[in-house]
Amino acid sequence: MTAPLTLVASERHDGTPVLEVAGEIDMSNASALDQALSQTTGRVPVLVDLRAVDYLDSAGLTVLFTHASRIRLVANPLLEPVLTISGLVEVTTVEKIAPDETSPD
Amino acid sequence: MARDDHPERGPVASGAAFFDMDGEVGRDLAAVDWGATPLGPPEGWPQSLRTAVSILLSSRFSMWMAWGPQLTFFCNAAYRRDTLGRKYPWALGRSAREVWAEIWDDIGPRIDAVLATGKATWDEALLLFLERAGYPEETYHTFSYSPLRDDDGSVVGMLCVVSEDTDRVIGERRMATLRDLGSDPRAVRTELEMLAFACRQLGLNPRDLPFTLTYLFDDDGLARLVGVTGIPAGHPAVSAVESPGDPDALWPVAALARGEPALVPLDGARFADLPTGIWPEPPLRALVAPLLRQGEGPYGFVVAALNRYRPFDDGYRGFIELAAGHVAAGISAARSYQAQQRRAEELAELDRAKTVFFSNISHEFRTPLTLITGPLQELRNTLADAGPQVRQDLEVVHRNALRLGKLVNTLLDFSRIEASRMQARYEPVDLAAVTAELASVFHSAIDKAGLTFDVDCPPLAEPVHVDRSMWEKVILNLLSNALKFTFDGSIGVRVRGEDTHAVVTVTDTGIGIPAEELPRLFERFHRIETARSRSNEGSGIGLALVQELVGLHGGTITADSAERAGTTFTIRLPFGSAHLAADSLVPARAAEAVSATADPFVQEALRWLPGDDSAVEGSAADLSAGPSRPAPGGGAPIRVLIADDNRDMREYLARLLEGAGYQVSAVADGLQALDAVRAAMPDLVISDVMMPHLDGLALVSALRSDPQTAGVPVLLLSARAGQEASIEGLAAGADDYLVKPFTAAELLARARANVELARMRNHHNRWRNAMIDSLQEGFFVADENGAVIEINAAFADILGYASEGLPYAPEHPWWPDESADPQAHAMVAQAFTQLVELGRGSSVIPVEHREGHRVWIAITFNPVTDPDSGRRRVVGTIRDVTAEHYLVQRESALAALTMRLSQADDPPHALAAGLEVLQEVWHARQVVAAIWTGDTPSELVSSPPGGTRPETREKLTALRQQPPLRPYASETDGAGITLEHPDGLLTVWVDLGEDRPFTNEDQTLLALLAGPLGQGLHRVHQLDQQREAAMALQHAILGPSELPDGFAVRYEPAGRPLEVGGDWYDIVPLAGEHVGIVVGDCVGRGLQAAVVMGQLRSACRALLLQDAGPAQVFTALDRFAALIPGARCTTAFCGILDTATGELVYSSAGHPPGILTHADGTTVLLEGGRSTPLAVRPGHPRPEAHCVMPARSTLLLYTDGLVERRRRPLTDGIDAACATVQAGRSALIEDLASDVMAGLTPDGGFNDDVALLLYRQPAPLEVAFPAESGQLAFVRSALRSWLTRCQLAPSLVQNVLVAAGEACANAIEHGHRNAPGETIRLRAVATGSDLHLTVADSGRWKHPEPEANPHRGRGVALMRALMHKVTIHPGVAGTTVDIHARIPR
Repeated sequence: MTAPLTLVASERHDGTPVLEVAGEIDMSNASALDQALSQTTGRVPVLVDLRAVDYLDSAGLTVLFTHASRIRLVANPLLEPVLTISGLVEVTTVEKIAPDETSPD
Repeated sequence: MARDDHPERGPVASGAAFFDMDGEVGRDLAAVDWGATPLGPPEGWPQSLRTAVSILLSSRFSMWMAWGPQLTFFCNAAYRRDTLGRKYPWALGRSAREVWAEIWDDIGPRIDAVLATGKATWDEALLLFLERAGYPEETYHTFSYSPLRDDDGSVVGMLCVVSEDTDRVIGERRMATLRDLGSDPRAVRTELEMLAFACRQLGLNPRDLPFTLTYLFDDDGLARLVGVTGIPAGHPAVSAVESPGDPDALWPVAALARGEPALVPLDGARFADLPTGIWPEPPLRALVAPLLRQGEGPYGFVVAALNRYRPFDDGYRGFIELAAGHVAAGISAARSYQAQQRRAEELAELDRAKTVFFSNISHEFRTPLTLITGPLQELRNTLADAGPQVRQDLEVVHRNALRLGKLVNTLLDFSRIEASRMQARYEPVDLAAVTAELASVFHSAIDKAGLTFDVDCPPLAEPVHVDRSMWEKVILNLLSNALKFTFDGSIGVRVRGEDTHAVVTVTDTGIGIPAEELPRLFERFHRIETARSRSNEGSGIGLALVQELVGLHGGTITADSAERAGTTFTIRLPFGSAHLAADSLVPARAAEAVSATADPFVQEALRWLPGDDSAVEGSAADLSAGPSRPAPGGGAPIRVLIADDNRDMREYLARLLEGAGYQVSAVADGLQALDAVRAAMPDLVISDVMMPHLDGLALVSALRSDPQTAGVPVLLLSARAGQEASIEGLAAGADDYLVKPFTAAELLARARANVELARMRNHHNRWRNAMIDSLQEGFFVADENGAVIEINAAFADILGYASEGLPYAPEHPWWPDESADPQAHAMVAQAFTQLVELGRGSSVIPVEHREGHRVWIAITFNPVTDPDSGRRRVVGTIRDVTAEHYLVQRESALAALTMRLSQADDPPHALAAGLEVLQEVWHARQVVAAIWTGDTPSELVSSPPGGTRPETREKLTALRQQPPLRPYASETDGAGITLEHPDGLLTVWVDLGEDRPFTNEDQTLLALLAGPLGQGLHRVHQLDQQREAAMALQHAILGPSELPDGFAVRYEPAGRPLEVGGDWYDIVPLAGEHVGIVVGDCVGRGLQAAVVMGQLRSACRALLLQDAGPAQVFTALDRFAALIPGARCTTAFCGILDTATGELVYSSAGHPPGILTHADGTTVLLEGGRSTPLAVRPGHPRPEAHCVMPARSTLLLYTDGLVERRRRPLTDGIDAACATVQAGRSALIEDLASDVMAGLTPDGGFNDDVALLLYRQPAPLEVAFPAESGQLAFVRSALRSWLTRCQLAPSLVQNVLVAAGEACANAIEHGHRNAPGETIRLRAVATGSDLHLTVADSGRWKHPEPEANPHRGRGVALMRALMHKVTIHPGVAGTTVDIHARIPR
């Protein structure tokens, strides 16, 4: 069994590619995230919406580092320690949202 | 002048009829021409005169009277005859002045006084020179002049009643001279003394002997003047020598030499101017009287001048001749005294020679006699079984030897009496008592002879002076004699007082003495041949000796006897001491026992009696059975020391005394004797006088001079007979003196008597010494310096230092060696200081016996003052408390060991405790033990702990060869012992340290302690095993061994005594995440309680499994418990816990409240749902309570054993439990359980058994999953759920999830790369403030290699960043990651 992970790629009305990630990211499904990010084309940066991710470990972080140059992140506060500690916030843009702000829209 | 011419006279005138009263004088009175006198004719005389004359004349008493103014003289016939002489009848009618003109100067004033005063005069023996015989005559008159009154009462005359005393006065005077001349013969020893004395006496009578000259003829016939009285020596009438042929001789020497007296007129030129002496005129004549000598010519003559105022009549001549006779007798006496003295000196010389001869003879007799009688005695013993002929012969020899000895002794007595050397000591005694006592010694012999013995001796009013030893001989001889000749009837002794004498009679009803023999009875060697006697023995000398002895006492002895009727001897002794020489008197002494003199007499007498076999057998045994038995009362044998240089004599004496039961030792001279006495005080010393080195006398002196030996009685033996020799011996201080030869009986009797006398004499000292010596305790006297100067036998026994070594100066030889044992030395020194300074105290100190071993003594001492010297002394006692000391030491050591062993819970502690005790007992340097299993020792155990000397290790090894419990002591430094230990052989070495020997007592003690130590070790071992068994049993009952996670339980039996009890806990997993939890406590202990507990526990568990709630469980248990004996009153806590939510429903049946401690430390007691213990109120509804255990709170359930403390409220224990849990709320639950048990265990262990149950909400999470990445989500889910129960902040939850996830991912990725599917375990535990997570795999992680695999390194970094602490334990069997996170408040 793998961790529950939903990856939905879309595009904002301003044409910004968006990847909405929901669920948990661990080593069992980090490759799926990588694959999804790799499949996004067009404009960069891609907005990776992690607001519905409630678990992110080093396997997922590695994927995000790999794509850091072409992504922006939106994450809930739960992930903030991980993102900060890993240094990801230094190599990419992370938009913080209030805990009650479920959607960037 | 006298008128002698009176012619025939006619009858007197009628007027003077009163003259008729006396025929002659009256006629002459009538013839007086009264008319010529102032009185006138008698017819005219007044009646008073007539009456006076008539009385005068009628009296036969000599009288004269004077009457009238001229004092006309009258006298009667008696006066005429006695006094008037030639003046009659001239004097009649004349004036008295005329009649007594020559004496008127004497009597005139007296008469005038009578006439003037009318008072009578009295004159006695008045010297008056009357001229009544033609010359002035020395006369003496006793007279009274009384007044005569006329008819009108006026004094007109006097009457003289007179008696002439001349003859009486002169007679008395002469008698006095004669008496004095004959007096005091003792004062007159020599002729010169005698003459001086005689002259003194003659000179005292100058009236009769105005002067005297005494001449003695010398060998040439010349008379030499030897005495003069009343005339100066240079007077011409005194010539120094008168020769018979000298014509100018004053005295008729030749006639005198013939014994003829002569009356010589003292005229001529040479007699002119003679002294008048006491008289007015010198003497006119002298009588020269020869000093007559019987049978020969006179010694000389006495010239006695004569009193010219007395007629030289026969009386006067007789007086002078008698005086001369006295002088002659005196000269004779003096001369014979001188002759006697010369003779006496010659006799004394002879006597000295005789005494020397006797002494020599006695020496010659006695020594051989002793050596005849002695060996003879032996021979009689030896040949006791020989034929009767031999024995009879021996008996004859024996008897005659005795006779010879007695004879020699008696002869010696005589020789002493004759030489006046019987130096008697007369002392005043109650003769009756002394005599009765002497008589009593014959009692048994007389009884045995079948005779009655009448002793009738009432006390006398006055003492009699007797010499006891002589008196003994007197009485014993008489009694012996009486018994010898009396065959039936009685013998009597009687003492009476008679005026000036004591009379002692000894009577018998024996054969009597023929009348013709009586006069010779007391002659020496005179024996009366009698028909019958008990014995033919006898020297015929006994009664002669008796007479001599009685004579010495100034007494007499007589005998009265009638044949076939009996004999009575009567002794008369004067009372008082006037008849005895003063220098032989001694004061009365204390009464003494009858001396040894008596025994030979009694022995001899007994031999006469029939049926006395001892007379024939005479063995030593008989002697000792007889009166000589030396040890009265069967006491200890009497020790006699013999000193004699003659080996024969020494051996003989020893045999003799030993035969009589004495304990004898013998030495050859005085020095040896002195040493022997000092070494061991004998009861008697028998010593010869003549010995080399130190003779008997010097020995006695030496013994007497030493206070230690002064009291020992000494009996001197000598061949030197004679009083001087014995006196010399007695003067030196000997108690008795026995002259050789002596009989065995005599020696034994003396020995016995002296021992007894000495005992009496030294009664006080002996009593003191005996008392001191009989003390079980040692006794000593120390002087002011602490030197021991006297000790008793017990003291010597205890310390081994005997009295010979006295004094013992400090430091005493029994002090312990200071270098070897300073502690003991110090103890003794302290006691000694107390002794010297305080003189009072007591202590127990260790000292050294002379033989080197240690003795513990209890010493007590007090100060006293020596009554003799006044010096300070300390007397003390010592008691050997060695045994007690070691006993106490052992007992206290044993007690200590037992106590210490009882406190030990296991063998190691027990062994350590035992070694400690050993170390303390000996103050050992170290005590070391090893337990051997095979040849390998355990680790060494020692007290005090620390390094062990290599030698000790060797000794421990060597000890294995010793049999168990047998101490093995080293010479110098300690001892070891072997004993059985539960784990093998135990060897123990006590290392005392430098040069401290291990004594026998120490070895005993070691053996004594080793036993209990071994037993104790085994007992502790058994207890330990039992305890483990009990624990195993309890735990088996209590199970389950696998608890649900989150719980911790403990069961602890009561510490002591080790017993399982009725406490229990139970955890019952129920449906869902519910868990039933129970803690209960049955009443009682032991198996019974355990059984009840088991049943209740099972019942409770069954009820819970049927989904019953706690109240239902207890309601059912109430009924159930009522059916089980012993289950009633069980308390219990029962709850159902939802571990998911922490909800707890519970009920308490009288049980202590559970303790709930929140993560923040808040503590809550679960006091709800409480009701009574089980089965107390069956059927009564049970309450329930609800509570929720917050996350990370801790629940403690327990039985009261955990919190009950004696004398303290239960709440104290509960508070303590709360505090412990509170403090340990961050500890792991299992650790907390241990902490609670440890923290609440009282000193000495729990009194009751304890069950406890701990739970912390939530229970730990434990997840096992295959090493597949797909499992991560599941694990995460489970962890998240558990973390939620822990009620943590979401961020912390997230961090933990990430960290745990990283650890799991690593385990999957790296640990099991090569073996996918292996299990990985995650465990998570929450405490009050921490989270602990563990991820364990079976693989091996790679070291992080960030360059090669940057994201993996990123994972570990994440973990470390997120968590408080991360530890990775790589290992062969796998890798474990410990993650620790603190939970913020």
